[in-house]
Amino acid sequence: MTTLIEPETTSAPPIHERNAWEWIKHNLFPNWWSGLVTIVLLPILLYMAYRALRFFFVTGQWEAVEVNLALFMQGTFPRDEQWRLIAQILTFALAFGIGAGTASASARDRAEDASLAHERGSLTDTLKRMWSMIAFIVLLLVFATTHDPGSPISPFLVVFGAVLAGYVGYQARRLPRRLRNLGWLLTLVLLVVGFQVVSGFDSGGWLPLGIILGSAAYSVVPVERFESRWLRLLVRLAAAAVVVLVIRAVYGAIDSTGIGWDEWSGLHLTLLVSAIAIVLAFPLGLLLALARRSTLPALRYMSTVYIEVIRGVPLITLLFMGQFIIGFMVPAGTELSDVTRAIVAMTAFAAAYIAEIVRGGLQALPSGQTEAGQALGLAPPTIMRRIVLPQALRAVIPAMVGQFISLFKDSSLLFIIGIVEFLGVRRIIHAQEAFRGVGIAETLVFVALGYWAFAFAMSRESQRLERRLRVSR
Amino acid sequence: MKSIKLLAVFTALMLVFAACTSDDSGDATTTEADGGGDGGTDTTEGDDVDLTQTDTLADVRAAGQIVCGVNDGLPGFGVVDADGNYDGFDVDFCRVVAAGVLGDADAVEYRPLTAEARFTALQAGEIDLLIRNTTWTATRDGQEGANFLFTTFYDGQGMMVPASTGFTTLEDLADANICVLSGTTTELNLTSVFNARGIPFNPVVFEDNSQLRPAYEEGQCEGWTSDASQLAAFKSAIEGEGGDDQFIMAEIISKEPLGPVVADGDTNWAQAVEWSVMATVQAWEFGLDSSNIGSYSGDNPNILNFVGSDNFDPGLGLAPDFAVQVVEQVGNYKEIFDRHIPAIGLQLEGSPNNIWTEGGLMYVPPYR
Repeated sequence: MTTLIEPETTSAPPIHERNAWEWIKHNLFPNWWSGLVTIVLLPILLYMAYRALRFFFVTGQWEAVEVNLALFMQGTFPRDEQWRLIAQILTFALAFGIGAGTASASARDRAEDASLAHERGSLTDTLKRMWSMIAFIVLLLVFATTHDPGSPISPFLVVFGAVLAGYVGYQARRLPRRLRNLGWLLTLVLLVVGFQVVSGFDSGGWLPLGIILGSAAYSVVPVERFESRWLRLLVRLAAAAVVVLVIRAVYGAIDSTGIGWDEWSGLHLTLLVSAIAIVLAFPLGLLLALARRSTLPALRYMSTVYIEVIRGVPLITLLFMGQFIIGFMVPAGTELSDVTRAIVAMTAFAAAYIAEIVRGGLQALPSGQTEAGQALGLAPPTIMRRIVLPQALRAVIPAMVGQFISLFKDSSLLFIIGIVEFLGVRRIIHAQEAFRGVGIAETLVFVALGYWAFAFAMSRESQRLERRLRVSR
Repeated sequence: MKSIKLLAVFTALMLVFAACTSDDSGDATTTEADGGGDGGTDTTEGDDVDLTQTDTLADVRAAGQIVCGVNDGLPGFGVVDADGNYDGFDVDFCRVVAAGVLGDADAVEYRPLTAEARFTALQAGEIDLLIRNTTWTATRDGQEGANFLFTTFYDGQGMMVPASTGFTTLEDLADANICVLSGTTTELNLTSVFNARGIPFNPVVFEDNSQLRPAYEEGQCEGWTSDASQLAAFKSAIEGEGGDDQFIMAEIISKEPLGPVVADGDTNWAQAVEWSVMATVQAWEFGLDSSNIGSYSGDNPNILNFVGSDNFDPGLGLAPDFAVQVVEQVGNYKEIFDRHIPAIGLQLEGSPNNIWTEGGLMYVPPYR
């Protein structure tokens, strides 16, 4: 409505208030043929809108979604273990809150250092970015209200708890500056804990927290009083080892088993599997991109072959190969679940694309940047880490997020290899006696809305990131 | 320096992967221990033993549960309800085996499988038992390493047409469009039968019944061929929702015996599964059902053997009272059939699934 082209004037453009009639005349009937198009298209569009609204509110048989809402969300996840999912939602909400609060605070710190004005992101901005997800959650609550899914804890309480946990976590922005790293550490730890609340704190699950807290111990242990460099390193390593051993002992002591991802399904599986694949594919893709530009021929050729082979194969083929071929590549007796195989295939697939995206960013960077670093006498890894990668990655954020969104949507292919993810729940529902052939369009629309809500939020988040990092400058 | 850093990065990455695998193997053990109660930690060792000599019966007892490959989207045979529970005719036979072997019908971990993945899962030992509307054919018996046991359901491929067409035989369908699912034996049977009889036809191929049904109802094809059980289910659904009347031709163009399948090479396990399943038919023949088998007080020696009240043990590796557990916890064959199959529009009377004394094919060897 505000994108009118104003006539160019030398003075400041006058603010011209249009009334509705003028707006219609200017936009819909500027000349005779545009008017004709309007006259033809407008009734068609209005009729389609009418049909769509009628479908949503009058004719749509939404019972298929209402009754099976829990099935869409968590699939066949054991209902008596449902507290694990609720605990996971709350822990993740807290982790995201702390992460957002810490990120906001460090942006403020940076602005202070550069003595720039810092504009704090407002709640409205956040809501604008997240509105699709909020709308989806509201839709879920509406469906949950119209049909009680028999959940022991009301979905409203869960949503309220998650918002509260996120808000409490966000208060991390008030922490003093020296505790900033603690905020990041807490975010990571909570993400791992939130994951393991469902998958179980069994004795083998110490590794992720061991790595995170071990590296933290390695970097924070006070070593200034030691003169010798080797002694310092030794003390750091010892601190890390102690922490790792303690964590290992704690896990060994708890050794409580949970529900592994083989038994996850529905939207829960879709979100977690996509997140895991994205998190794993990014570093792998980065390494592949660097390897492809490496001066070592062996590394370069291996990376090139990998990227070109994977990019030449459709994802669904990789998924099928994962189901039927990975078994021959691992040592006999190793049991890999279908979900693990699918994650491996999705990661391998996405990494090849990310590698090419990152390579594009690396190539776009003028060689002067590297040369300047060399002229300053910086070591090659430092040049890569401090000069090249930050600029290269910043330039490719849109393409990268596009790849992540596409990976998220591609997770629906798992349905074809028999994993019951969000889309696959539909097949189960329409085998139920009550919904055989009933509500087919409705469940499809619901699933589409679900995917859209998350994909759109990701896209808005990437736009914000672009703005903040001024990609387009 | 550069190489050290690179090495560090690689090590970190390796650790991440190790983390994932260790997470996963931990979970696998977990799941089994969870449902089974005790002895869950033995499963990993049990699987190693699996590779050299297979003793599924002992493994299943150690794990405290059976892993059963099922269909999660076939009306009447394997469905999942809104609370995530498995239900259906095939699912009930998984429960029958669990009740027979372990004495607890709920000691089942269901593994939903696609048609393509089912035999791979069986060969790889990911499942102990496959009951997923799987037709017993010579090729599958011979090439898939599968051991087909007692047929629990005699199905056959049929043809459905809108009643308004007036078609009653396959010959009426000359030059007609016929809806069929792709990649199934159904498609193969259609082609071979029509070609053999020289009837020209156009197959209209779909991936999924949820796409096929609307197309059929819109009149994109004059005939719909599939297993008679499925056609009956869709006939009742279409008519129930006010659609056109449908007609299922009497002619059956293929034999589709469906039943439990285990991996080749483990006779003890196969026998345990087979006799657990056959107990449901034997109980039916004896007139025993879930309400009266536990309180049998007659003096028929065959029945006393069957319910194990005289501690008769034929050496199948099953408890003497396994039949009581099966029938009390799940039901006899007729109870299981009545629970699931009439709902999809098929009747027991007059079908091959009736008991042999009434002209059906349900005949089991004597339990003595």
